[in-house]
Amino acid sequence: MDRVESVRMIRDSVGAIAPAGGDLRRIRALRADSVGIDRETWQHVVDLGWLALLLDEDQNGLGLGVRELAAIGEELGAALVPEPVLAVAAMVPLLSETDRRKVLDGTSIIVPAWREAIAQVDAKPRTVAAQGKVTGKKILVVSGAAANAFAVSTTQGAVLVARDAPGVVIDLQRTQDGGQSATLEMRSAPCTPLGGDFDESIHLLSLAHSAYLLGASERAFQMTLTYLGIRKQFGRLIGSFQVLQHRAAEAKIQLALSRAVLDEAIADVERRASPVDKTRSRSRAVARISDTAMLIAREAVQMHGAIGITDEHDIGLYCRKILAIYNQFGTASANRARYLASLELEPAA
Amino acid sequence: MNTETPGLVSAEIDHNAQSDEDFRTEVRGWIEVNYPSHLRFPIERLHRRDTRIWYDRLAAKGWLAPGWPKEQGGMGLDAAKRVVFLEELERHGCSRFSDQGVLMLGPLLMTYGTRAQQDYFLPRILTGEHIWAQGYSEPNAGSDLASLRTEAVLDGGEWVINGQKIWTTLGNDANWIYVLVRTDKDAKKQEGISFLLVPMDAPGITVRPILTLGMSDEFCEIFFDDVRAPGDALVGQLNHGWTMAKALLGFERIFVGSPAQSAYALSRLETMAGHLGLFGDPDFRSRHGRLAIDLADHISLYTTFVDLLRRGEPISADVSMLKINQTELYKRIAQTLVDYADDYAGVEGLVAELGGVQASAIWLQSLQTTIYGGTSEIQRDILAKQVLGLPA
Repeated sequence: MDRVESVRMIRDSVGAIAPAGGDLRRIRALRADSVGIDRETWQHVVDLGWLALLLDEDQNGLGLGVRELAAIGEELGAALVPEPVLAVAAMVPLLSETDRRKVLDGTSIIVPAWREAIAQVDAKPRTVAAQGKVTGKKILVVSGAAANAFAVSTTQGAVLVARDAPGVVIDLQRTQDGGQSATLEMRSAPCTPLGGDFDESIHLLSLAHSAYLLGASERAFQMTLTYLGIRKQFGRLIGSFQVLQHRAAEAKIQLALSRAVLDEAIADVERRASPVDKTRSRSRAVARISDTAMLIAREAVQMHGAIGITDEHDIGLYCRKILAIYNQFGTASANRARYLASLELEPAA
Repeated sequence: MNTETPGLVSAEIDHNAQSDEDFRTEVRGWIEVNYPSHLRFPIERLHRRDTRIWYDRLAAKGWLAPGWPKEQGGMGLDAAKRVVFLEELERHGCSRFSDQGVLMLGPLLMTYGTRAQQDYFLPRILTGEHIWAQGYSEPNAGSDLASLRTEAVLDGGEWVINGQKIWTTLGNDANWIYVLVRTDKDAKKQEGISFLLVPMDAPGITVRPILTLGMSDEFCEIFFDDVRAPGDALVGQLNHGWTMAKALLGFERIFVGSPAQSAYALSRLETMAGHLGLFGDPDFRSRHGRLAIDLADHISLYTTFVDLLRRGEPISADVSMLKINQTELYKRIAQTLVDYADDYAGVEGLVAELGGVQASAIWLQSLQTTIYGGTSEIQRDILAKQVLGLPA
């Protein structure tokens, strides 16, 4: 099966959990849910095999890569699916066989916890793991209410910590999209080491997440174009006003830039580019897509006019989602700074 | 305190004879004592249940209606003193109260209303017995307000009103509403519109609050289904409602350009930046510096408009510049706030990790400012056509 075909099939499969026609009733209802995901949908995710996407075929995985994970991400983003499909799929290759089985049969949800400070993208972890115990504090853990265990980065490599392990304290904060952001405090909490390359998994996840953000932005843009084509004021379709046409065109340019940069970052992973090259393309992708998503959020609301600032119109769901996740892999500013810093590593020609 | 009638108290002092500085000191001192401190610098419009105490204190002091003449129960302030009064309210972060009666209907009745309408309605605004809402916008008449379709027809000497209003600010707090209605369907768009006064408890009125992105119910939809109002509910001449409503936008147009919103958001940005140590980041310093200067420059422009008011001169269409510049600056500040809030950008409420700043609420609220009160696009149209005289 070639990559074009695998990406097409994987995109089609998203229809199983994201109803056609952009029906967001499930998403709207889940905002009031204390966990923020629903088990029935999660079982669909499990049955579709997506969580094993990055696993090799000899480990009963799909043997696919970041391109397919990003394709899923884009479709999930377009439908605002809140279940942590991408995060869990990115962690699966790191797990022991026992833990992996529990994730792949749907009994366990494992998400990464790697951030310790804000406004920094590359800080080394200070969380310490020794003799099977971990001590430290992780912030901004996504899907913190739904997770059964956390893949935690430490000075000694990544470890797995169970949610209900002694010494674990979880503090949840509600986010504007109805999600829950967790602060995870661990005091000599029992842990087991994880295999594989945690940083590489986060790298892949950052690209798949960027695809999710881009998918949400693209859909919000499409909804806005549709609205420009039906809303009349002053006896004309508002989409016929030149000022709105030009601004829609500008948004299109930013979306095209975003997609091109993301593709390049994905290709860098596929061709096993050097760490510096991968860091550069990832930093550009995250920064560009963050800025684009915010541009789309503002313009989509503005072009919808007053209906756009109501909770009952679906454009607001996109706006809230973008706000809640656009900085998940660091701010655009921090990502640009990392890109620029990487240039200084190279000797002048 | 409540036994005082509003007009009498302000009559004791001739504020216009005071120096600006003496007046400012008096106003400032009184606001600091009397304004509820937990209501300072609200992000959303506050409901009457919250602002009532402030309304009542202003009313008891005789300071509810600074611009109304003394004989109508106002403060009778001249333009310069009104500016001082406004500046002090803004400096302290005082919320607007349910002020459509004081700001819009009162002055309109004084100009166009009958003696009977003035005698009945004006005192009831001053006591807070009547809280007014403004029924202008409709689902298909927002930016294009003149295409409104809510209609009123005379039937046995009474008006019968059918239609729908939307984006009625604090419509769920009001017990009266003034509405623009179509009374001549054959006339040209802006003609054939009349101005009616309707009690909100009239049979056939239904109010439905609309939640904003900030989950605030500050706007409402109001449905009129065979609502009957007496013949004398009409203000001014039949079919002249549009002209009256437009002519009314006087002193208060300055509100749209007030720097208070941006100044508050910038102070929140600075609080967050201090907490996160962002001033050491050259990228942040550059963005912050630009915003700080943009705000200072906006205040310079705002001051030129305030000076017009101070001299008693009218504010004209070019006030649209102030609205565009202020709201778009506010959005840039709000954007910077969430851009540097990292992944706490979307967390609800006051976020301790950001120094107690409610970044997500400010950002969501900022989105509506370039839409309400005439979108930025409409304001630019006004500038292009009415100020620059460019061809239609």
